[in-house]
Amino acid sequence: MACNKKYETQLHKYLDGEMIESERTEFYNHLDACEECAAHYKELKKAVMLVQSSSHIEAPEGFTESVMDRLPVKKKRKHWKKWMRQHPILIAASLFVFLMTSSLLSVWVDQSGEELTVIGSQDVKIDRENGMVIVPEGEIVEGDLFVKNGRVEVEGEITGDLTVINGEQYLASAGNVSGEIEEVDQALEWIWYHTKRITSDVFSFGEEKNNE
Amino acid sequence: MDAVVKRLIRAIKKEEDQDAFAELVDLYKDKVFQIAYRMTGNSYEAQDMAQESFLRAYANLESYDEKRKFSTWLFRITTNLCIDRLRKKKPDYSLDAELQGTEGLTGYSQVAASEKLPEEQVVTMEMQEWVQREISYLPPKHRSAIILRYIEGLPIKQISEILDLPANTVKTHIHRGREALRKRLKDA
Repeated sequence: MACNKKYETQLHKYLDGEMIESERTEFYNHLDACEECAAHYKELKKAVMLVQSSSHIEAPEGFTESVMDRLPVKKKRKHWKKWMRQHPILIAASLFVFLMTSSLLSVWVDQSGEELTVIGSQDVKIDRENGMVIVPEGEIVEGDLFVKNGRVEVEGEITGDLTVINGEQYLASAGNVSGEIEEVDQALEWIWYHTKRITSDVFSFGEEKNNE
Repeated sequence: MDAVVKRLIRAIKKEEDQDAFAELVDLYKDKVFQIAYRMTGNSYEAQDMAQESFLRAYANLESYDEKRKFSTWLFRITTNLCIDRLRKKKPDYSLDAELQGTEGLTGYSQVAASEKLPEEQVVTMEMQEWVQREISYLPPKHRSAIILRYIEGLPIKQISEILDLPANTVKTHIHRGREALRKRLKDA
């Protein structure tokens, strides 16, 4: 054993190669003078050498093959999962689009019955048997007209927009629509129409607020 | 070496290139097996632990930070696996302890007696086997520090990263391990 605790610490410090020059000189001088510490040092050195000399062993033959055999089989799903993890914003966006589309589609399906619907004005002739809506000559429809599942003949005047869902419109030479005429036939167009409407609603809402 | 390892890891991450992984296993299998063998002291368990290390590395490669040394990350998996295994099968007695009701008779004499090794075989017991056995008697924390320091020859800094311990704690573990080995190996 080292002659005292201080030198035991010193021995380990030396073995860890953490002594500065002056400490090392002092340490060597002590080892020369102290038999106990010299013996302790020799024993430590021997233990370290024995451990270091224990030969380096190698992995058994076929090691790599057996690791590879145990690897999980490549799965397409894993690719997909990995992709999802890397693109969270795309996932959120497509989820949003999917939900929007499906909710609008369900509205479309709900209201795509055969019944003729007219929203906007009472000053029109509605012929339910033939599925016709006529804006008579000389008549002025104030605001927008919205017709579903029917043919529209405009002989008079509409001051707003005319929207025709699942039908067609006929503008007589004498007729006049001040706003836009829009025909919507397909589900996709219907969705587009709704998206536009929501956007313009939001936009005009913002404008109104600004005006206040 | 580092550039090769980086290229292989990219290939595994991006294309799930299993051939690249096989190359990576080839590069590190001896070191990983060595750590596992020195930790468990038995080649059957060592092979189990080493294989498991690579399988975990493959499964968790996403969490490997490419800015850090791959060997540090891999050896950490191995030492953790081995320490866990040692804890699970830790015997509730120590061979060092004097057996109850006997004087000066320790677990070692029991082991020798039950193995019934002929005298000359004991005498000629390979030095390496003996050293390995003495390493196995160290507590797992001291054992892992000694193995990484003297068998793998790693610097203290890397050992502290592998074992996730402060450098001073690693040094203390090495000192304790060295002292224990000194006492056991001095009569060689």
